[in-house]
Amino acid sequence: MTSAALPHVEAGHGPRSPGLSYQDLLDADTRPAPEVLRLQAARELPVVRVPIERYTSQAFHELEVEKIWKKVWQFACREDDVPEPGDHETYEIAGMSLLIVRGADRRLRAFHNTCLHRGRALKDHAGRSGELRCPFHGWTWNLEGELQELPCRWDFPHVERERYALPQVQVGVWGGFVFINMDPDCEPLESYLGDLPRHFTRWPLEKRFKEAHVAKIMPCNWKANQEAFMEAYHVVGTHPQLLKGIGDANSQYDAWDNFSRAITANMTPSPHLPDGASEQEQLDSLLSASLDGDPPMRVPEDMTARAFLGQVTRMQLQASVPSVGELTDAELQDSFYYSLFPNFHPWGAYNRIVYRFRPFENRVDRALMEVLYLSPYRGRKPENAKTTWLDIDEPWTNADELGSLANIFAQDSFNLGRVQDGLRGAQHSHVTFANYQETKIRHFHTLLDRHLGA
Amino acid sequence: MKLRHPLSGAIYTKHGDDRVLVESADGQSGVFAPGARHLRGALREADPHMIGWVLSPDMQDRRTGTSRGNADQAGRPPGVGLPKLRTTTRNKKGRQDMDLGLTGRKALITAASRGIGLAIAQTFADEGCDVAICARGESGLEAARKDLEGRGDLKVFARAVDVAEGEAFKGFISDAAEALGGLDIYVSNASGGAGPGEQAWQASFDVDVMGAVRGVEAALPALEATDAGSVVFISSTAALEYLGVPQAYNAMKAALIAHAGDLSQALAPKGVRVNVITPGPIYFEGGSWEMIKQAMPEMYKGALAQCAIGRMGAPEEVARATVFLASPAASLITGANLVCDGGFTKRMPF
Repeated sequence: MTSAALPHVEAGHGPRSPGLSYQDLLDADTRPAPEVLRLQAARELPVVRVPIERYTSQAFHELEVEKIWKKVWQFACREDDVPEPGDHETYEIAGMSLLIVRGADRRLRAFHNTCLHRGRALKDHAGRSGELRCPFHGWTWNLEGELQELPCRWDFPHVERERYALPQVQVGVWGGFVFINMDPDCEPLESYLGDLPRHFTRWPLEKRFKEAHVAKIMPCNWKANQEAFMEAYHVVGTHPQLLKGIGDANSQYDAWDNFSRAITANMTPSPHLPDGASEQEQLDSLLSASLDGDPPMRVPEDMTARAFLGQVTRMQLQASVPSVGELTDAELQDSFYYSLFPNFHPWGAYNRIVYRFRPFENRVDRALMEVLYLSPYRGRKPENAKTTWLDIDEPWTNADELGSLANIFAQDSFNLGRVQDGLRGAQHSHVTFANYQETKIRHFHTLLDRHLGA
Repeated sequence: MKLRHPLSGAIYTKHGDDRVLVESADGQSGVFAPGARHLRGALREADPHMIGWVLSPDMQDRRTGTSRGNADQAGRPPGVGLPKLRTTTRNKKGRQDMDLGLTGRKALITAASRGIGLAIAQTFADEGCDVAICARGESGLEAARKDLEGRGDLKVFARAVDVAEGEAFKGFISDAAEALGGLDIYVSNASGGAGPGEQAWQASFDVDVMGAVRGVEAALPALEATDAGSVVFISSTAALEYLGVPQAYNAMKAALIAHAGDLSQALAPKGVRVNVITPGPIYFEGGSWEMIKQAMPEMYKGALAQCAIGRMGAPEEVARATVFLASPAASLITGANLVCDGGFTKRMPF
């Protein structure tokens, strides 16, 4: 391609898309926007391209294990996955297994899930037990990790109880999420999170239950997987059916210390469409209304689609969110996609979605993508959903609990195996990122560089 | 499913499970398989993501919890189909009798070893239906099965199951549908009974409410597949008027009425009707009013005095109303609450 084929970048609207900004949309909403949505934090990020081997090299994966997975805070499970003494969850990361246990003293602890005798995993899956007993020979630790019993004690004169306590890893809790960190010298979770908890004060994540939890093995590197969700730039290519009702190219992107945010508005036509869209067309595109049927919902004559969808969602949330009357139209329909380095992605407001991405087993070219729906509730807390596992070839649409979002994930997944194939066979050396719309990805790689010491 | 590509203007129409017809804005057309693999037609190129989207399953069901009933989505015409009335008989004047259209239909009734449930099952059997019944106790169930089998040439499927045991209960329903070769009618009659305290709340919730919820859920695939799918919840006038004691039974029976109303709207496009029968005091041997008559004669007399017709109801009377409401003869009725109480409640029947 010659350089003449590409138009010059237009000037005059800063680094962003021309036309309506997200802040302009907030001005037009039926209620004043909360302060958190008024924050704008664009920042200088040095990374605009990264080497392809980040996605394809097993050696780079090993480096990540040492510098990232053994060093950073990561979401392991929900606090209410382990509500009672003896409840435990396992968390697997890059071939390592950790055990999160609630002690008899009700405190949460995390241990390496390995018997100190001959190395068998102490627990194969989540459960509740009075002690941690290895299924191989029966070595047993109490819930606080102290060695309690070993069969034929006389045969181990060299095993001293004090030296055989289970090695612990750091544990922290925020928003009902249990985080672990394998580095004994790590900074406290509170300082690592920075301002993130303040962003969520209007939408408390601890007051939620897990309505759905789906985990699927993906045929690509975990970073390629999560980066497919970190920008709205791909909507025009991958989700064209949404264009009439989504502010894709005029999304807002912000980055802070260890976390970033993308805000994408619904019920506004894409800047890609020269003729815009009517209010009803905006709603039809969201609901995927068939041309040969009646629309499932009609926007009333005197309303915008945005005000109408806000009102519909307000009614849906009425039973479970006491403060629903204060929520703005924006909070009731837009996407507020937060990412905490390296792999934890809670959505703001009441979108309910949380993503987590990690390497599957110890492979550079396989990822485990998880989708959680954390739903608000009133009164007695409903039981958390069990995890649905989808194999590499199983479609997202097999998980009924995801609803229509499964169809969106299917569109995203259509690309991802071919991304990994393309990267593996690539003759060029780097992938490159958009200056503004791929802010979150550039922010991620900037932090990755920092951790790798580059 | 038929959508216009917002950028190219081409129309994408779903044809079968894995084919999409694409008509471009300039009048060319082509048929494509998933991944935009070209099969035939002059149009050689299409958007694979749009193809994938148009072929994705159950969009409306997933998003709204209801189907809009388009023929291409649900595989049948929209709305409640007019069920076939299968048998015709002539009365003495040579005109056609009203027929409930139940011959050969398949009905499932919960808690049907005695009382109202048994009477409903018997009436369905008398109308020529195959029936499936359940109850907690094995012995009462066996007697009911024999009684039903003696009523003619019909299939009877009976199993001892506790409605509160969600998985076992749902298993019973799907097994019953398989054994009978389908299901046209589901009657949720089981009740945790009246009583004080938190346990009664839990029992009423588990049996009365969740029995209805789970029962419909498990029966729905079969009910959708027939042209006469119909659901009846058995509630109680305790849900309508104050009976002198606040208790779980009353509130849970009220919940059934609300849920039936919701379902009647949500399931109408799928051709399934949902109604409620609300019996007043029903007297039968071994029933609770017999017990009350003996143990609390004042209360019994008070209730009897409330019955405008001067007597309490019989299970057969509730059964006839239920069977009518459940039958194809009531094809226009959905979301109704039919009160059968001999004038026990005093509110105006708006």
